[in-house]
Amino acid sequence: MVRNFKTAGILAGVVLALGLPLAYAQSSAKTLETGTFHGKVHNTSGRATIYREADGRLILRLTNFKTSNGPDVHVVLIAAKDADDDANFLKNSTERVELGALKGNEGDQNYEIPAGTDLKKFQTISIYCERFNANFGAAPLEKF
Amino acid sequence: MRTSAPLRSKSFEVFENGIGPGKWPDSISVGMFMTIHISPWLLRQKWILVAIGLPALVALWWAFRPEKLWINQKVNEPAPFDTSADPQPILTGRFEGNARHTNGRATIYKKPGGEYLQLSDFTAPSGPDIHVALVHDDAQAKSGLDSLDLGPLKANQSDQNYNLPGGTDLDKYDAVLIYAERPHAVFGLAKLEPF
Repeated sequence: MVRNFKTAGILAGVVLALGLPLAYAQSSAKTLETGTFHGKVHNTSGRATIYREADGRLILRLTNFKTSNGPDVHVVLIAAKDADDDANFLKNSTERVELGALKGNEGDQNYEIPAGTDLKKFQTISIYCERFNANFGAAPLEKF
Repeated sequence: MRTSAPLRSKSFEVFENGIGPGKWPDSISVGMFMTIHISPWLLRQKWILVAIGLPALVALWWAFRPEKLWINQKVNEPAPFDTSADPQPILTGRFEGNARHTNGRATIYKKPGGEYLQLSDFTAPSGPDIHVALVHDDAQAKSGLDSLDLGPLKANQSDQNYNLPGGTDLDKYDAVLIYAERPHAVFGLAKLEPF
């Protein structure tokens, strides 16, 4: 009987020791910033949210996202408060951080933000057509 | 008589050379003395057309990708982290402008027990009888019909939660209002959008 209690106690301790940090790690993605898309030339809608994962990685997640399909479309972080519809980035020589090619013009999707990106400086997500230097849509980010 | 016979035969030869069986028509003779040499030029032009036109078409297709106008590329990636155990944000918005001295974010979360409003990153002027309410932006609490009072403001700074009464129809409200009861002044309004 005593032995059983002992085993049960040890088991419970092991489960707690393993389970608690796991449960903690799972729910420790922190929402840093969020914003909604606007875009007139190419109707763009949805939400862009930046999360910090437990390991410190920054993740951009697009939800309820929709824009028009196009050639060579990329997701970029730009050093501006907002981007005008159809803004010309090269002419403005706006600083930008490339997050990769747009995975799809519809649906939820994740992009990793390079480590060390200054989110105070890069405040807007742009759906950007490299080929025609056109801004499909932009989401100004604000603190969550 | 003598001159006409060879001429006729010559023109016949030309004719024979021109559209003879099994021969490429590099010239067409019209009538007795006229021969129109157009086909080599035409041939060359065709080549020029193909040499310029085909790459041009390919380049245009590559640049504009017109088929993408009617082809949608759908993705559905899950979140890279599991937040299913946490309360889920369903509506969010920031208090607008500095004019009313209210700043911050209002978010409505859903949890198993019900819904609650969280004010975060929040500052408001201090004062007596300041309330938090859900409103419909058009009505702006003036009518009192479309507003749901969530109680007095707990603090004029820092994060705070307000439980929503059970069965609150969130379709009826689209903004969070910070207002003073007695001078009946609006301190801040946050329009809510789906998270």
